[in-house]
Amino acid sequence: MSEVATPTQHAALAARVSDACRSAGMVGAPYPGAVAALDTLGYPTTRQERWRYTRVTRLLDVSPTAAAPHTAPPAVVSGLDALRFTFVAGQFVGGDTLDEGANGCFVGPVSVALARYPERLEAWSHSDFATKEWFAALQAAAPQDGVCILVPAGHKLERPVLAHHHMPAGVHVAQPRHLIHIGDNASAEAVLWSDTTAQSEGMMNAAITAAIGDGAHLSLEVVQDEPGTVHHMGHHHFTQGSNSKLTVRTATACAHWLRNDLHILQDGTHADSTFHGCYLPNGQQFVDHHTRIDHAHPDGQSDELYKGLAADKSTAVFNGKIMVHKDAQRIEAYQRNSNLLLGEQAAMYAKPELEIYADDVRCSHGCTTGQFDKEALFYLRSRGMTETAANNLLVQAFLAEVLDGFRPEIRDYVHSVYARRLGWS
Amino acid sequence: MLKIDNLHARIGDTEILKGLSLELGAGEVHAIMGPNGSGKSTLASILAGRDDYEVTEGSITFDGVDLLELDATERAVAGIFLAFQYPVEIPGVSNINFLRTALNSIREQREEAPLSGKDFLAKVKACAQLVELDGKLRDRSVNEGFSGGEKKRNEVFQMAMLEPKLAVLDETDSGLDIDALRIVAHGVNSMRGADRSFLVITHYQRLLDHIVPDFVHVLAGGRIVHSGGKELALELEEKGYDWIVDAQPTEQA
Repeated sequence: MSEVATPTQHAALAARVSDACRSAGMVGAPYPGAVAALDTLGYPTTRQERWRYTRVTRLLDVSPTAAAPHTAPPAVVSGLDALRFTFVAGQFVGGDTLDEGANGCFVGPVSVALARYPERLEAWSHSDFATKEWFAALQAAAPQDGVCILVPAGHKLERPVLAHHHMPAGVHVAQPRHLIHIGDNASAEAVLWSDTTAQSEGMMNAAITAAIGDGAHLSLEVVQDEPGTVHHMGHHHFTQGSNSKLTVRTATACAHWLRNDLHILQDGTHADSTFHGCYLPNGQQFVDHHTRIDHAHPDGQSDELYKGLAADKSTAVFNGKIMVHKDAQRIEAYQRNSNLLLGEQAAMYAKPELEIYADDVRCSHGCTTGQFDKEALFYLRSRGMTETAANNLLVQAFLAEVLDGFRPEIRDYVHSVYARRLGWS
Repeated sequence: MLKIDNLHARIGDTEILKGLSLELGAGEVHAIMGPNGSGKSTLASILAGRDDYEVTEGSITFDGVDLLELDATERAVAGIFLAFQYPVEIPGVSNINFLRTALNSIREQREEAPLSGKDFLAKVKACAQLVELDGKLRDRSVNEGFSGGEKKRNEVFQMAMLEPKLAVLDETDSGLDIDALRIVAHGVNSMRGADRSFLVITHYQRLLDHIVPDFVHVLAGGRIVHSGGKELALELEEKGYDWIVDAQPTEQA
């Protein structure tokens, strides 16, 4: 069944969202290409392969109320030593900017970076998404505040960055924009955390754009912990130079309705990309991870692993595309996606897509969807574990491959959210 | 300690146990032998609380408690342990984490304080030595990539850790070479005591050379058809089961 929005409907949505973002406060000017794309790109429909399982007609009803109060939310993973920045509904509310001058590191809100160093943000800070995807175009047409990390060539950012974006209670829209630039042979680690209250509604349409220079390292952990009924669209775009190393781990701890588009472009030889993710929708939740890696140059490597569970009447989607360009010889690309269904009415749509135009490559992919192993459950219970403890252990074991890659504080937090949501703690 | 009375059980439409009665006293070791398909493993599964089987008639009491009212977890808490014929592999859960969770889950349900990390590790060390379980196997995922012998030793290791009142060994000898058999038997023998009973289910007499039972029962057609002392096992080894099974009155249609 397909659903098509009329042009007036999605134009009205774009106008409502842009107005709300403008009146709450934007950072920088609307991206001209995005504004034009909003007109030329149609609203996504389930007739398009990329949106086949993702019904966005429901977002047409999002109608934000007055601007959110800018009260800082409680700190997340408070034990983690980090450069902390807090944003509420696309507005900067707290954090100490690190500014080492025009040739040094900068970590702070995008709004401050734009005021102080506009030239450092120019060339790389808009992704293809902004002109090719309707929601990404909407984000770029009215961008709001997020964290900006600029590490010049040869520098190492000593402390990790933790950017916490919070959606307060009520019907709000937020379009935060996070920008990360790691110069040649530089390195940084960051955590991008988004959360909401249980009474939060509306839409979170967020972009992460990162450029990683030659020989540079970026390690990024993305945590999405959103009770309430916010619709979350994520546009995560990474461009890597030669010999660079990128690790992106995404934990969807809780989401009412969420779509992540992650795109990695290996724009140099010998680039190395690791991208792992986990998700566990329950109730009537919907979680969709669309990923794409472009091996555009020779000798790159990629390691993709997404694991998830779908419980109750929830729906999970995984779509992983590996594009190997004609000249990308000798690349190695691995993709694995494993899913467990915990409810008879839970649904999982999993699709690996490999397009290979080079002839000397190593690509592999594996995709499985199954059910809880009853025999294992009985084994654990016969050793005295309660059903709760046994379920918990099995879920922990299933997700360990992904979760163990996160910092222990984050791993434990995400697991505790899963256990609580399934009523197992 | 365990009293099974006129037990009837089926899986789907197939009746497997047809009036099985058996009594075990504290500290006793009983062996159950019998031809394939006689219901040996069904009995083990029902004792441990596997819910694929439906008990249609009869009763099981354990220390005066109606066992059929307890689920698998509660039976373990009550002190029943089943050494699986086919131990399950659980990738991602380390043997140690598994045992700590199990042990503390049992203690919590018994309203006992959890074991300290130090006491737990001391216990692990002692029990692992009992069955010569390699330190590496303790840290690996539960049974994952273990050989047949390692899996069975791991079962006895878990049994030693959990110290049950009644241990049911379901064909623990299957797939074991003679050295592994000796190790497993040694583990079991060193756990024998006045407060612990064993129900040893086996197809072959050779295990009973190492774990010498007090009583031997023959299970055929879903019932105990013959009982005797340890010498019965030797007789069965020599003559097979036919002389007993054939002597049974045929079932009324």
